[in-house]
Amino acid sequence: MEQFFQQLTNGLAVGGIYALIALGYTMVYGVLKLINFAHGDLFTYGAYLGMTLLTSLFLQDRLGAVAGFLVLAVMVMGLVALFGVILERAVYRPVRESHRLAAVVSALGASIFLQNTLMLIYGARFQVYPDDVLPRVAVNVLGLEIPLMRIVVVLASVVMMAVLYFFVQKTTIGTAIRATAIDQGAARLMGIDVNRVIRLVFLIGPALGGAAGLLVGLYYGQVNFTMGWLYGMKAFTAAILGGIGNIPGAMVGGLLLGVIEALGAAYLSTAWKDAISFIVLILILIVRPTGLLGERVADKV
Amino acid sequence: MKRVMGLALVLSLLGVGSARAADTIKIGLMAPMTGSWASEGEEMKKNVELLASELNAKGGLLGKQVEVITEDDGGDPRTASLAAQRLTTKGVVAVIGTYGSAVTEASQNIFDEEGIIQIANGSTAVRLTEKGLKYFFRTCPRDDEQGKVGAATLEKMKVKKVALLHDNSAYARGLADEIRSHLKAKKLDIVFFDALTPKEQDYSAILTKLKASGPDVVFFTGYYPEAGLLLKQKKQMGWNVPFVGGDAINNPDLVKIAGKDAAEGFQFLSPPVPRDLDTPEAKAYLASYTKKNGETPGSIYGLLAGDGFRVVAKAIEATKSTDADKLREYLTTGLKDFPGFTGKIAFNVKGDRIGELYRVYKVDKTGGFVLQK
Amino acid sequence: MNRSLLRAYVAAAAVLAAAPLALDAYWVDVLNNVGLYALLALSLNIILGDAGLFNMGHAAFYAVGAYTTALLNTRMQLPILWALPVSGLVAALFAALVARPVVHLRGDYLLIVTIGMGEIVRIALVNDVFGLTGGANGLFGISRPSVFGYRIRRPQEFFYLIWLFVALTVFLFHRLEQSRFGRALNYLREDPVAAEGSGVDTARYKLMAFALGAAWAGMTGSLYAAKMTIISPESFSFWESVVLFLIVILGGSGSIPGVILGAFLVVGLPELFRGFASARMLVFGLVMMVMMVFRPQGLLPLRTVRFKKSDVAKAEVAP
Repeated sequence: MEQFFQQLTNGLAVGGIYALIALGYTMVYGVLKLINFAHGDLFTYGAYLGMTLLTSLFLQDRLGAVAGFLVLAVMVMGLVALFGVILERAVYRPVRESHRLAAVVSALGASIFLQNTLMLIYGARFQVYPDDVLPRVAVNVLGLEIPLMRIVVVLASVVMMAVLYFFVQKTTIGTAIRATAIDQGAARLMGIDVNRVIRLVFLIGPALGGAAGLLVGLYYGQVNFTMGWLYGMKAFTAAILGGIGNIPGAMVGGLLLGVIEALGAAYLSTAWKDAISFIVLILILIVRPTGLLGERVADKV
Repeated sequence: MKRVMGLALVLSLLGVGSARAADTIKIGLMAPMTGSWASEGEEMKKNVELLASELNAKGGLLGKQVEVITEDDGGDPRTASLAAQRLTTKGVVAVIGTYGSAVTEASQNIFDEEGIIQIANGSTAVRLTEKGLKYFFRTCPRDDEQGKVGAATLEKMKVKKVALLHDNSAYARGLADEIRSHLKAKKLDIVFFDALTPKEQDYSAILTKLKASGPDVVFFTGYYPEAGLLLKQKKQMGWNVPFVGGDAINNPDLVKIAGKDAAEGFQFLSPPVPRDLDTPEAKAYLASYTKKNGETPGSIYGLLAGDGFRVVAKAIEATKSTDADKLREYLTTGLKDFPGFTGKIAFNVKGDRIGELYRVYKVDKTGGFVLQK
Repeated sequence: MNRSLLRAYVAAAAVLAAAPLALDAYWVDVLNNVGLYALLALSLNIILGDAGLFNMGHAAFYAVGAYTTALLNTRMQLPILWALPVSGLVAALFAALVARPVVHLRGDYLLIVTIGMGEIVRIALVNDVFGLTGGANGLFGISRPSVFGYRIRRPQEFFYLIWLFVALTVFLFHRLEQSRFGRALNYLREDPVAAEGSGVDTARYKLMAFALGAAWAGMTGSLYAAKMTIISPESFSFWESVVLFLIVILGGSGSIPGVILGAFLVVGLPELFRGFASARMLVFGLVMMVMMVFRPQGLLPLRTVRFKKSDVAKAEVAP
């Protein structure tokens, strides 16, 4: 039984990361109907940028642990958001009018380009975060040893999701985003600056992805230029699981997928862990394609 | 029509570019310059090129300069077979490489059919030398030797329950299987046998499962990036069971990834690391490598490639020829106790390296690798 | 097909037939790889180009064919050229089986599902499912094809085998284009609702497209296994599926000559640029992005060009 709860917490912690990345996917898909294959690579950029900034600016020494971390997070998120906007303007905007396939190919091309640029800059080997940036404290919850940082990760995901959710539901610009997601043409007719909305979405989504990258780098300590692929795939599965276009859905999907993976590894076989995620994906798409919490985009006939 | 003309033009241009003249002895190097093992390929290249330039400075081989021709095998079999084909058209006398058993296997037949000596440096699958290929050799040991030493090491630790973890790659799985069969013979209890997914970050699920199976020791046969993460996360979990690794763990980055306290006490098998080589030649080479590249050689496989090159050079010198059959004859019978950087080298008739290569290393608290007696 | 295309094919065939005599073994082998990829891309073209089904897991069908041949050959000593059609059949059945539950899905979703399926197949191969696939080691010891006792071994010999198969495929697929089946596929790609309304059983045709595409990919897998004599899961990764997808799109989705040209470029160019290995991938990504902006219909598209929404809008407004 102890193993069950331990695996549960393992799954939730990993799921928190999936959720953060999934939020980016789901927002972009909701508004543009585009699977941003490059999103996973933006996540990787977050991890690498975090490492570079951390080792060159010594924020921890200057500002103390907590403030240093927050400043670092803001910087990383800002930079990755910037990349996201550039990506949208340079790669996706020109193909917006074309066939769906063109956007898919562009997205793939962008992913390959980003990944290899990173490889050329940083080299093919693994890169390592400096040690001891985060406190290595473990908290004892109900008899289980849980590292504090894992709880922080899950909380951070939930908080960011909550903020995003209220933003989208309650503010004017949030409503504009939702309107654009439902019908771009009509939104334009209502006077919404669709380009601005899309730009905003490409600011927020990648920022969250970048934050996830930073957290992963800080917590696991090791980054490599291909990490975006696997995380991206899982996060996309999570987004679909929860309902693509649906913000709380991304959260639920992420956490649930993490747990399914951990329990699957524990009780079935660790070697098939990834296959389990893909099987979940396929089953959901067959049985309930709108996802658990329902899709929030209009269906094309 | 235009398209066809263009095609014809391109094809004819390609046909022209193949033959090369110049009076040099060409040694091929097939290495992963791109793909997942690019870092190994880089080191292989650095080692072989440095050795070639040193040799040339001393006058070359048989009065001619040595030219190293490198082809990228991309770490995958298909690219490797193309790379091998390409090397055969360049007039190489011998080829060093490569890393990765499946990748090497894709190239074996091609070199054998063309009568080109191949010395692999990082392909430990047993079956590569069980096919009766005349011109294939390897400076790296085989998985069955490592399996034997691995099982013996575990036995020495006086444990009862062993967990075996691999990563489903050909190498790691093979090694895990070998250790398992030896352990069964010694009647040790194997409580866990499964694989993790490489290139992932979070191994907490697997570690939790491992812990639940209650082993006295865990033998991980995979590569150093995953090993580093395992050690780090196991420490975070507060789990103190000792871990042992195979030779793919041997890389200084292991300690960087795991962190010094997590890595302390970890043991692994490996051919002797550069620092522990005490022949004057080895020390001199290490010094010149460090001078040229700004750091000591990190990978044992890079050094094994270097040894492969030196062995070929020695064979050419000794037989005063570049004929593959004469070279083969020399390598299997004439070469005895060659002072390689990785230990004494001799080959048996199958092309395998003779001699017990593996030692046990332990990581101390400063992160250094200490040879255990 | 029209006269100029036929002339182009004949000229290309003449050049190719002479190629092994002029080129060394390495370049012949490059052309062999081009041929194999052309076959795979043509098979994907049926699914993606003709039927408009987003399939990014095509490597799975390739793998099924290759492994079927490998198993039949190493365990039951079945000669390669007999195993070839069997592999095609097995791949087709496999495709029909896995496509059935998902064939009704919308474009992007189908894309993701096919990616997932491709990955599941790969993981199953690596994990030595049913003890058959040899795990990460793969299967080895596959024999060479023999035609009336003549063993096909060298690249030059494989060249003729592969490219004859390509020629046959091109001929058959052009006939298919003109046939009722081909036209039905085009119809359901352009407007599935209208097609269904006109009595085209879209689900059935989609499945048939998958099965046919898979069959050809399976047979190509068979040739690949015989050529390499060892196969391992690495050769059937997601990346392979992406490359095939790209060849079809960049060459001109639905267009047979376009797809063949695409294969030449995508496989041949990196070999020409072997010196710039690491920048190679970067350029690849860049090319993809640029092509979609400037020539989304591909290099040699079918004569019918898609209309952009903005053009249609403009046309509707005009007097």
